[in-house]
Amino acid sequence: MRRPKVLVGIGLVIAITLTACSTGERVDLGNESSQNLIAAIAGEPDQLDPHKTSAYFSFEVLENVYDTLVEPDENLEMRPALAESWEVSGDQLTWTFHVRQGVTFHDGSPFSADDVVYSYKRIIDQKLSNADRFRAVTDVTAPDKSTVKITVAQPTPNLLSNIGGFKGTAIVQRKNVESGEIATHPIGTGPFAFRSAKSGDSITLAANKNYWGGPPLISGVTFRFIPEASTALSALQAGEIDWTDSIPTQRVEELKTDDSINLGVTPSNDYWYLALNEARKPWNDVRVRQAIAYGVDRHAIVQATGYGTATVNQLAIPKGGPWYTEYHGYTLDIAKAKSLLHEAGVKDLTIDMMATSQYPETVTAAQIIADNLAALGITVKIRSMDFAAWLDEENAGNFDMLMMGWLGNIDPDDFYYAQQHTGGKSNAQKYSNPDVDGPLDAARAETNRDARAGLYARAATIVADEASYIYLYNPSVIQAWSKSLAGYQARPDRAIRFRTAALN
Amino acid sequence: MTDMRLADEASGDESARVASWRLLLGNPVTTTSAVVLVGIVVVALTARRIAPYGTNKIDVADALQPPTGAHWFGTDELGRDIFSRVLLAAHASLQIALASVAFAFVVGVTIGVISGYRGGLLDAVLMRVVDVMFAFPVLLLALAIVAILAPGSATTILAIGIVYTPIFARVARASTLSVRVEPFVAVSRTLGTGHLYMLGRHILPNIAGPVIVQTSVSLAFAILSEAALSFLGLGIQPPEPSWGRMLFDAQGFVQRAWWMGVFPGAAIFATVLAFNLLGDGLRDVLDPKQRTMIEARRQR
Repeated sequence: MRRPKVLVGIGLVIAITLTACSTGERVDLGNESSQNLIAAIAGEPDQLDPHKTSAYFSFEVLENVYDTLVEPDENLEMRPALAESWEVSGDQLTWTFHVRQGVTFHDGSPFSADDVVYSYKRIIDQKLSNADRFRAVTDVTAPDKSTVKITVAQPTPNLLSNIGGFKGTAIVQRKNVESGEIATHPIGTGPFAFRSAKSGDSITLAANKNYWGGPPLISGVTFRFIPEASTALSALQAGEIDWTDSIPTQRVEELKTDDSINLGVTPSNDYWYLALNEARKPWNDVRVRQAIAYGVDRHAIVQATGYGTATVNQLAIPKGGPWYTEYHGYTLDIAKAKSLLHEAGVKDLTIDMMATSQYPETVTAAQIIADNLAALGITVKIRSMDFAAWLDEENAGNFDMLMMGWLGNIDPDDFYYAQQHTGGKSNAQKYSNPDVDGPLDAARAETNRDARAGLYARAATIVADEASYIYLYNPSVIQAWSKSLAGYQARPDRAIRFRTAALN
Repeated sequence: MTDMRLADEASGDESARVASWRLLLGNPVTTTSAVVLVGIVVVALTARRIAPYGTNKIDVADALQPPTGAHWFGTDELGRDIFSRVLLAAHASLQIALASVAFAFVVGVTIGVISGYRGGLLDAVLMRVVDVMFAFPVLLLALAIVAILAPGSATTILAIGIVYTPIFARVARASTLSVRVEPFVAVSRTLGTGHLYMLGRHILPNIAGPVIVQTSVSLAFAILSEAALSFLGLGIQPPEPSWGRMLFDAQGFVQRAWWMGVFPGAAIFATVLAFNLLGDGLRDVLDPKQRTMIEARRQR
């Protein structure tokens, strides 16, 4: 059974570090400099240990430095990477992976099955940020240099996406970890090797000539940190950089007609939602939450935040995906919303709504929501803060309502379990419903794809009906690159892969 | 003899004050800025009544419209009327500027006068505290204060007020030091005048000039600081309008909607310039050295 039944998710990518922009030039890599690609990312990675960071900026770089056993292809189906092939036992409880031979780390030392065991045990034993992905795993062993056996407590159809969905479960080198250098000078098996970093300015990678997938066509990649989107775009248009993903949605229309650059707009698996704090009154009353869901103008929000690049969705999983469920429970209906509030016996509500300047769409949408809900007699007080403070407040449960997004999801489990299961890791709104927990738990062990899809459809519909999350829309991945950059595609999971890129 | 001198001092003062007004009004730049400021204040006070649209009336379908008869300054990315928002932001900006400068004025002048008048250890301690506050870049200190407290209007007032307090303290102390050693103060003291009466009757009126000038200039900087804090998302919170916040929002739309940034920018420009020029005019007539030069020029 090669076809992965299920895939994986990153969870909310945290971008904490903002850095000053720099007006650098092409990094001089000797006579190869013309083949060095310069990519602008919006911030500096907090650290480069793939098992410890949760910042998207880190993964933009690490995607090119590390490998996983399996990895998602452009359709997010799991494909061989460091594992050439794998089998699942008849009882679905043992997975056997045959790892690639002759692969070396960037420092020349050989890669073997022991490194896989070491990496996974590190995540599990130290309870690192992705330990949750190994929850069903009872043991990881390497019977020989080329075989890894993973045993699970129950059938785990989404094991492949759990161990390969993104580079947070990358295969690291023991020596690199034990010397403590992994956070600043990571050594992997990927297409590019870490070469140097300039704090607040850039990180430079050099091509790995011995890469198992074939040597990259470019000599290296420099990731420059440019927080200001307009600066990055101007730099791209001026030919100072080759690639950027800091593109305000309102510029997409204009850039589509710009013949000097390539624009990639790809529907993503990300979703944005509103959540009401059910640990507080009156948001524990389902009618009050539904009233908000009826009172919010999703189309206005999508128009003002997406400018035609986003799609309204009342559930998390976007249309076109294999796990999509049709759902249109809510329409903008002020009368209905008012009667729900009346039924619930609440009036003169004030909502403390958190937004963060890190994600400007939350501030924009919050203002629309404030205007929408004013029609229901609800006063929305917007608190806009930096993201670190925002996260603290979320964790402390100090909010009435928040707007946020999840990105990098692949498997339906990523979309719903942590967010909606009682006591789930990302269930900041404190939703709890056994009718949702049941199917979510069952789906984790359901190996029949259709039956599994049915379980998620059931759980998701209840979640939306009860407005645990008020789903808003799915945005697009928007990236732009120079005409001279070939062999690159924007991916729906936001993985930035330069392994096949070429510069003409 | 003593009485005579005091009487002279008083009558001289009286006539000088009349001349000050005449000099002030004789300067066309000062008059213009005063008129502009009065205009801005009137607009700010009546903003709620004269604004043609609601401040937060969102109409996404009508977003990013250029200036027209219906929307004099165009509409922003959420379809809100920019003219209405600029007017209402004037109210918020002026309110914050006045409140914060009033805070800085009261606290700063009190510290400065006490420090200068008492001298000694108290003076040394107070001035070192003021020095420490001066050592911080103004905006950085304000940012730190806002970061500790939650962002909002009250915090912004407090932050700007605290940041400008040392300047008032310095100005008030320097003037107090020079007034304190004037003969009429010494005489008054020998007559047994109490400290409070002394401060109220002799010190404060005589340090008023520099402090008034400082107030006008500080108002300009307070408006700028509020705009800067709001621009950074730490001042007035959306959706409430603020010139600084409007400029921030306009950033992403420079290519598509120039009017989003130009009008709030022009409002900041006009207000700050008017306060500054008024401050210059006031300094010219309240500073004895400058004043002699102006009078000489006028007589020619």
